[in-house]
Amino acid sequence: MPYYETVFIVRQDMTEAQVKTLTDGYQKIITDAGGKINKVENWGLRNLAYRINKNRRGHYVLIESESPAPAIHEMERTMRLNEDILRFMSTREDELSTGPSIIMDKSSKDTDGDKKPYKKREAA
Amino acid sequence: MSAEERTNSKPFFRRTKSCPFSGENAPKIDWKDTKTLGRFISERGKMVPSRITNVSQKKQRELAKAIKRSRYMAMLPYVRTDGESQR
Repeated sequence: MPYYETVFIVRQDMTEAQVKTLTDGYQKIITDAGGKINKVENWGLRNLAYRINKNRRGHYVLIESESPAPAIHEMERTMRLNEDILRFMSTREDELSTGPSIIMDKSSKDTDGDKKPYKKREAA
Repeated sequence: MSAEERTNSKPFFRRTKSCPFSGENAPKIDWKDTKTLGRFISERGKMVPSRITNVSQKKQRELAKAIKRSRYMAMLPYVRTDGESQR
């Protein structure tokens, strides 16, 4: 069965418990259709790069699964109808990822000296 | 405009390094990796062309796709205005 990675953003006003309920619901949709959940990560409340529906922050949740495509369609359909989900994106992966995702990994590492973004040279 | 670009290309010419995504220990292009992706966007938030960053063509396409996904999921901005402080 193909591997999928779904990330969705929940409105900042929701509590952690509500986010957990939502996540469990989506996991149930996948497992009911015969899929397997590989990884679930709650990245917590993060700042959005721009405002979405007047929200500046959102709860990010990642679900990695190996499931049939109709299950993902069904999950996306329910996400689309839910007003509390700001954005969602499902990507098909070629292989299962191992270990925590980059976001969770980073929180253990020190952010020392972030490399500067590319600076356009001024025309002399 | 083109004459200026030609004269500017001389000092850059010698500094061609290899593609940062090819070779061993190269980071995998992941749209969730804002730290790596952030090195390839300008201060305005625009994608930097590969002739400057020296990314290979294939990787530049993957990079572009990853940046666009990242922007959609609000991890990278589409446009960054002057104010660094969020209003």
